[in-house]
Amino acid sequence: MTFKVTLASLTLGLSMIAGVAHADNIKIGLNVPLTGFAAADGKSALNGAELAVEQINSSGGIKGDKIELVVYDDQASPKEAVPIAQKLIEKDKVVAGISGSYSGSTRASAGIYQEAQIPYVSAFAIHPDITRAGDYIFRTAFVGEVQGRAGAKLIGEMLGKKRVAVITLKNDFGKSLAAGFKEAAGKFGIEIVSEYEYSIKDRQFGPIVSKVKSDNPDAIYASGYFFTAGPLVSQLRSAGIDVPVIGQEGYDSQKFIEIAGAASEGIIITTSLDRDSKSAETADFISAFEAKAGHKTDMVAASAHTAVHVVAAALKNASSMKPSDLRAAIAATNLPASIGTISFNDLGEVQKDVQVQVVKDGNWHHHSVINDAELLAPPMK
Amino acid sequence: MAYEITLLTTIAISVLFALSLNFISGFCGQISLGHAAFLGTGAYTSAMMTKASIPFLVTLPAAALSAAALGFIIGLTSLRVRHDFLAITTMGAGFLFVGIIRQQDFFGGEIGIAGIPATGLGRIGFMSLCMSLAALFALFSIAVRRSWMGFVFASIADNEDVTRILGINASAYKLIAFVIGTATAGVAGALYAHHFRFIGPDSFGFVESVSVLAMVIVGGIGSVTGIIFSAAILSVMPLMFQFIDDYKLLLYSALLFFMMRFSPDGLAGLFKRAFRKYAGERP
Amino acid sequence: MLYLELFIQGIVQGSIYALIALGLTLVYGLLRILHVAHAALFTLGGYIGVIVTNQTGSLALAVLVAAILVGIVGMAVYKIAYEPLLSQPPFIALIASIALFIASEELFRIVFGPYGLSYASQPLTGHLELFPGFRLKYAEMLVIGMSVVVLSILAYLSLNTRIGIAWRASVTDPSMARAFGVNIQNVRYMNFFIGSALAAIAGVLVALLNNFVEPTMGSVASYKALAIIVLGGLGNIRGTLLASMLLGIIEAFGTIYIGHLIDRDALAFGFLIIVLMVRPQGLMGVK
Repeated sequence: MTFKVTLASLTLGLSMIAGVAHADNIKIGLNVPLTGFAAADGKSALNGAELAVEQINSSGGIKGDKIELVVYDDQASPKEAVPIAQKLIEKDKVVAGISGSYSGSTRASAGIYQEAQIPYVSAFAIHPDITRAGDYIFRTAFVGEVQGRAGAKLIGEMLGKKRVAVITLKNDFGKSLAAGFKEAAGKFGIEIVSEYEYSIKDRQFGPIVSKVKSDNPDAIYASGYFFTAGPLVSQLRSAGIDVPVIGQEGYDSQKFIEIAGAASEGIIITTSLDRDSKSAETADFISAFEAKAGHKTDMVAASAHTAVHVVAAALKNASSMKPSDLRAAIAATNLPASIGTISFNDLGEVQKDVQVQVVKDGNWHHHSVINDAELLAPPMK
Repeated sequence: MAYEITLLTTIAISVLFALSLNFISGFCGQISLGHAAFLGTGAYTSAMMTKASIPFLVTLPAAALSAAALGFIIGLTSLRVRHDFLAITTMGAGFLFVGIIRQQDFFGGEIGIAGIPATGLGRIGFMSLCMSLAALFALFSIAVRRSWMGFVFASIADNEDVTRILGINASAYKLIAFVIGTATAGVAGALYAHHFRFIGPDSFGFVESVSVLAMVIVGGIGSVTGIIFSAAILSVMPLMFQFIDDYKLLLYSALLFFMMRFSPDGLAGLFKRAFRKYAGERP
Repeated sequence: MLYLELFIQGIVQGSIYALIALGLTLVYGLLRILHVAHAALFTLGGYIGVIVTNQTGSLALAVLVAAILVGIVGMAVYKIAYEPLLSQPPFIALIASIALFIASEELFRIVFGPYGLSYASQPLTGHLELFPGFRLKYAEMLVIGMSVVVLSILAYLSLNTRIGIAWRASVTDPSMARAFGVNIQNVRYMNFFIGSALAAIAGVLVALLNNFVEPTMGSVASYKALAIIVLGGLGNIRGTLLASMLLGIIEAFGTIYIGHLIDRDALAFGFLIIVLMVRPQGLMGVK
């Protein structure tokens, strides 16, 4: 009986894969994690990217043609991402690819796109090697080190706190943030009094909290995603640790405030999205996203939204649909988007300001902007 | 074409990996829940070497050796425990492997190893290499199963105590199975690293160990042809289900569950029964 | 002072482990099945706890509802998934259980959404200042208190009531118990009901500590609880309790002092392998 089910679903699967496609549309590939541990971020990224496509198509598309997203679930795993990249390039014939996924899968697909000479934009994966795959690879997010350096400036100079405890999420995101933070710490007179690491699966931080309390720092630099940072911040506060806690774009979700509750008040983060931005692109995005998704937006959604707009703008500006012309157009990007004005350096890394946000009355709000070009300089070729 | 080549290469590597576990769990009855650690050992060994400009083909035996060395150690410790204890011990070994790799900057730590060089064989050449290695090991497995050693393995799997009473050194045979199986997993790891060209600690975690065990059991534990089938299907099944993205893993796990529930001897058993029924219906 | 705090944190974590692992070891003791999907029942308990609390405002009611509902689901899991597999080699049930666990995680994601849930207003956020600078949160006290009370009641029942004696008899020698008129089937149902209800209580408590439940909440519990019951000597209840507490405390200190050498999760398995090499039957198992 099971065998029949298997067969039936396989046949169904094959016929669906061969399925319908609109010949006229311009196809853009998107790999996002829709199942598995990263599904929450994947869902946000997908919503952000779809919103961008709707906006572009309703305002006339690309020279009259509509764009279409071809979406595959990569489970944030390199093993799934490689065949997906190949399928997007060969079967679906996408003009460009976008990663709305984490570093592992993005790094693995970047090599495939580079080999096929098809442009690929990483929306928020931060592994430093991604853009080093070659000249067809771009990234609209900060590499972790840049944001770590911004965090050091924020704590050491802008907040004037010198004795800092560092709590690091043990993955490529947390590690590269910590590296950037430590690199710049000396410059801003910061003394790192202690350093702890936790795994992405941890939700209970009792031992670390107890130790941090006994270290008695002036501020805490803690990396994490909303699902780790929410419990962490709430546990820090309820243990009676009242010093500033500085986070990064991984916190950047309404869900963080929901989990940490009252403890989230006054938490400051470095990120890409300014909730109180005067820029029309950002304000439009924030309200349109809420209308589409039914909940408040986050950094991941804004980054995927921006990545689609970057590709669309390049499609408009490119002299032809040839991949090399499209690549050149992306490299020459100068686009106001939901996460700020985007331009790339020779390695394909984004150059933009770092937004500092703070939780006030249960919402993210503007705190300040860091625009120290020298400090924020992304890695170059 | 490259897409089909990638799929076939993925399948070949999965088949080789699943057959390597079958050697330990299928032939010798030693259930392992940490087999991905050996895939990882091979992958890291080979990737570190090719990154240091050592030719890929040279790294294959090195990957086999390093995985076998680790396999020998785990095999030794496994001699002390049996059945469910063994399953958990091997699972523990898997977690230790990943837990230690994570912390070593030498192995790229959490960031993993990116930019693993191409093999220089070309896509088709590499695919042919993977397929022939998988085929070779399948033939070797069948030969072993028919040999005297195969009988000893089967008798250990069936009842270890009786085997010992017969005067056979069961421990030595268990170690041999462990070493051959893990060495092969090491080779599969080297291929894996140069196929995906990015490896990190998460590539070799518990999930990977469970999926390879699932391949062996769905194929029908001990059945070489059954496992070739199941490894081929299960390794590309997530891609086939892409059209129902949201329900993909649910469907995958549900299929696995129903397979266990209604045909615990796997595809091999399913085919056997289907054939018998077909044969029985004729006069 | 710091050591005391770390110790208390270890006890809190250990209590959670104990509640989860006890159900697992009960199942193993009776059926020789490694019940990985147990962790999915833990997650389900967390979800029910948050949803009921948000609807009714009563945490006590939420614990009760979660325990009963999840207990019933646990019995259904036995009936549907395991009973037909009892005659098969044990790894069949293991793989079925893993498949069931993955399917449940996916179901939670599809039904409750990928972002997870939180309490509308987190209950028991206060704390008791035992002496200056030393706080014990109400939620943590509840965790410790709950496991002590629940486990004591169970111990009393199993030692002093007819049901308890029937249960112990079935674990020790099923066929002899049957010969003496014990309904083995009922004992198994009861076993799954109690074990799953304990996991559900643990789920509600963890949701309370973190103010967060998510589809993958059970993933760590799924394998770490296995390590704990093996450490305790499979099927051995006292051993399981001891192993839970020990692991909680080792992790609390290990996170701080050797966390840079080895992962917290790997710590459990390092400890496990060392113990097994010295005592292959577990901490308190008998050969």
